[in-house]
Amino acid sequence: MSEQHHHPNYKKIYITLVILLAISVAGPHLGIVWLTLITAFGIALVKANLVVQNFMHLRWEKRIMKWMLATSLILMFLFFAGVSPDVMHHTGHQWVNQAALAATARGIEPLHEAEVAEAAAAEAPAATTETAAAPAQQAFDAKGQFQTVCATCHGTTGEGNGPGAAALDPKPANFTDPAFWKDKTDDVLIKAIREGGASVGKSPLMPAWGALYDQAKAEALLAYIKTLKKG
Amino acid sequence: MQKPIATTRSATGIPTGRLAVWWVLASEVVIFGGLLASYVMHRLGHPEWANAAAGTNTWIGAFNTFVLLSSSFTAVLAHQAAEHGDGKQAARYLFMTIGGAATFILVKSAEWTHEIREGFTITANGFWSFYYTAAGLHAMHVIAGAIVMAFVARDAARGRELQRVELIGIYWHFVDVVWIFLFPLLYIAK
Repeated sequence: MSEQHHHPNYKKIYITLVILLAISVAGPHLGIVWLTLITAFGIALVKANLVVQNFMHLRWEKRIMKWMLATSLILMFLFFAGVSPDVMHHTGHQWVNQAALAATARGIEPLHEAEVAEAAAAEAPAATTETAAAPAQQAFDAKGQFQTVCATCHGTTGEGNGPGAAALDPKPANFTDPAFWKDKTDDVLIKAIREGGASVGKSPLMPAWGALYDQAKAEALLAYIKTLKKG
Repeated sequence: MQKPIATTRSATGIPTGRLAVWWVLASEVVIFGGLLASYVMHRLGHPEWANAAAGTNTWIGAFNTFVLLSSSFTAVLAHQAAEHGDGKQAARYLFMTIGGAATFILVKSAEWTHEIREGFTITANGFWSFYYTAAGLHAMHVIAGAIVMAFVARDAARGRELQRVELIGIYWHFVDVVWIFLFPLLYIAK
């Protein structure tokens, strides 16, 4: 057998790889997101290419091997293209992934609370100043929660025309309509939010969000939703 | 009895042994590529995973990347030595590569022990599930590769089956390339 193939300067390539590694580790410290993505993944591609071409000798390999590997890569991208719309997005034309939406909303809150808990623990001696500051930090972002969790069905303006609404019958409530607000007490609305539509004689398509929102948070949400009313 | 020789040409013109290793790698591209692609699509859909991802230690990841890069270097030097017919030198380089593999696994064990003690287990949440599955599948490939490499090195030291040094080297570089992508995904672009 013994095909004579070239041996590039392996040491030079190795040193290049290490330098690229150092750059990719330093990237995030500059704090620029798009730059980090370039240094992290762009460099990964460059490093992988260096290893595959020179260490694995793909440069000097028969062409059919390059085709075979390209085919594998293409199949992998096909898989990604086919599956990602269902996984990366949590709503579609005909469906809503409520579990994923709830998980996302659940996940975003603890991040905030963890920061607040840390800040509180660090400032424990300065009790009075801290209790004054804490409520401000702990302000529940009702608008943010509405946009993340509720708007999927109720729409960003609360008109009941969110992307998920297409799949729903009856349609989600339209908060902009004064008629909606005429015959409903705060208690009933908070119950609908926390225990679901069926608990107040409405559609079971409205999920129960009580696990995410306690009484206080539900009240804050309701206060925000009221601002969506027109007229 | 005729021993099957994997050094003869196949229909592609590539020696059968090397062709076989490339076939393995082609399928591994879809396995690891699929796993990493799955991670990417889930990660993009769950911005809140940034909270969990903050728990990985970038310096440990970088050190392990350096270890694997260096082991790829010694593996290709082993190939060069084998090409020159120097089985003993090739074996020496291969044992260095195995040393790199052992270092990688030891560091990973310490890293995972610490993370598990902090409560970051494979069932903690989606991010950690992917983290342990992807890095774990990779680590299994590292261990399997190191074991095979030991057998190849033993033969090479006796001047036998030197063509296998290149083959185990190709597999080893692939293990390195997978980690080259795992590292930024799990440790940098959090």
